[in-house]
Amino acid sequence: MCVRPVAAAPESISEKVVESIKNAEEKCSDDPASGECVAAWDEVEELSAAASHARDKKKESDPLETYCKDNPEDEECRTYED
Amino acid sequence: MPISMVFRANSINHTPFFPNPTKTHFLSPQNLLHFYKKTPLKNHIGEFSCSSPGPVVVGLAADSGCGKTTFMKRLTSVFGGAPKADHNHQNPDSNTLITDTTTVICLDDYHLLDRKERKEKGVTALHPRANNFDLMFEQIKALKHGFPIEKPIYNHATGLLDPPELIHPPKILVLEGLHPLYDSRVRDLLDFSIYLDISNEVKFSWKIQRDMAERGHSLESVRASIQARKSDFDAYIEPQKQYASVVMEVLPTQLIPDDTERKVLRVRLIMKESGVKNFQPIYIFDEGSTVSWVPCGRKLTCSYPGIKFFCGPEAFFENEVTVLEMDGEFDKLEELVYVEGHLCNVSTKFYGEVTQQMLKNCDFEGSNNGTGFFQTLIALKIRDLYEQVAMGNGVGDGVGVGSLASTK
Repeated sequence: MCVRPVAAAPESISEKVVESIKNAEEKCSDDPASGECVAAWDEVEELSAAASHARDKKKESDPLETYCKDNPEDEECRTYED
Repeated sequence: MPISMVFRANSINHTPFFPNPTKTHFLSPQNLLHFYKKTPLKNHIGEFSCSSPGPVVVGLAADSGCGKTTFMKRLTSVFGGAPKADHNHQNPDSNTLITDTTTVICLDDYHLLDRKERKEKGVTALHPRANNFDLMFEQIKALKHGFPIEKPIYNHATGLLDPPELIHPPKILVLEGLHPLYDSRVRDLLDFSIYLDISNEVKFSWKIQRDMAERGHSLESVRASIQARKSDFDAYIEPQKQYASVVMEVLPTQLIPDDTERKVLRVRLIMKESGVKNFQPIYIFDEGSTVSWVPCGRKLTCSYPGIKFFCGPEAFFENEVTVLEMDGEFDKLEELVYVEGHLCNVSTKFYGEVTQQMLKNCDFEGSNNGTGFFQTLIALKIRDLYEQVAMGNGVGDGVGVGSLASTK
């Protein structure tokens, strides 16, 4: 019924996500059952969630999105599904 | 005169705590805050009698990435009220959502250990050690009794604990996070609680959708993250299920054989039959009986895979519950209205209110399936609970007083 585009999160959070995944993979290669490994993947989850919220926030402030929410029938707001 | 004072206390624009700030200097905001920080609450709670009831407190428990934010957006949409603009001048990274009627507190703000400390100690955010339940209890209790609090802020961007922000008691206080039902003292403060139970297959699918837009993530990293957190999740988060007033289970559909897309969902609303004040479960056709219902047929044509409902009594962790289940997706507006018309105990203010709310928020996740539909139903039940509590405490005329504006 409604279409939602996808945009990337701000650079700094995206960088943090990338680093945290590398860090988790390193920590877990030594000992997958350790507290450090588990905590490292928990950090990945936390940062991924933050990145996702940042993406949503960015989307909410897009002026075209805001306009089209109220005027979906306008030329600029038309969407096509092929 | 007592009646008119109580009436004023229940009006929409009432600020619940300070009736006459200029007259009683001792009770001015600055003095009270200074006073509250230094002295324990229990010595003074008898001295301040609050003329209005404290907020209705709702707990929402769910794992990260499971739809809490969407649920909050639906709740605040049903309760009405505009977001308060000046709130974020205090701290732009605040997690607190404030409208005229509702304040939503993110329980991450009660982390005892920040991100660096958790990493050093090898502790996840799911572990009780990482959270300050004593402070959580003291502050929620304070809000419930009508006192403002200075609540810490957990900054998700930096992973640090920021200086506190001032929070006033609202009409409806929502606590969302991993542990609203973990500590028994906090549990006892809740008037209503919800646990979002997402099955492993659906959780995996949602996290893939969420994370594949980010560089660095792959199917393996998403899977590894879920797997690593599973043991703490099973030990500390899942047991909260048994305490919730309502559990919303999200499972793969049974309508499509061998479905791997996980787009069509089966959602079960497990509602306590008793023990939750001012709440009666929603049902189909006849309370207490078992009903299987496929609305698609002669009157209503649905596209594949259609919609299937079930309603019946069950036992859940030693509680008697009513289970309402929806499998499938809504494709057309008329399906939504048709289904709404056949549910009982929905607590709407007018026929079509559920459909109207769903349409209003059609860009939210889950707007075409049971997740959005049931979240909207729960929001209406909470609104109804609030109004019953407000009516019970006030001497209002029953119309407008103590009620939240119904959204048009």
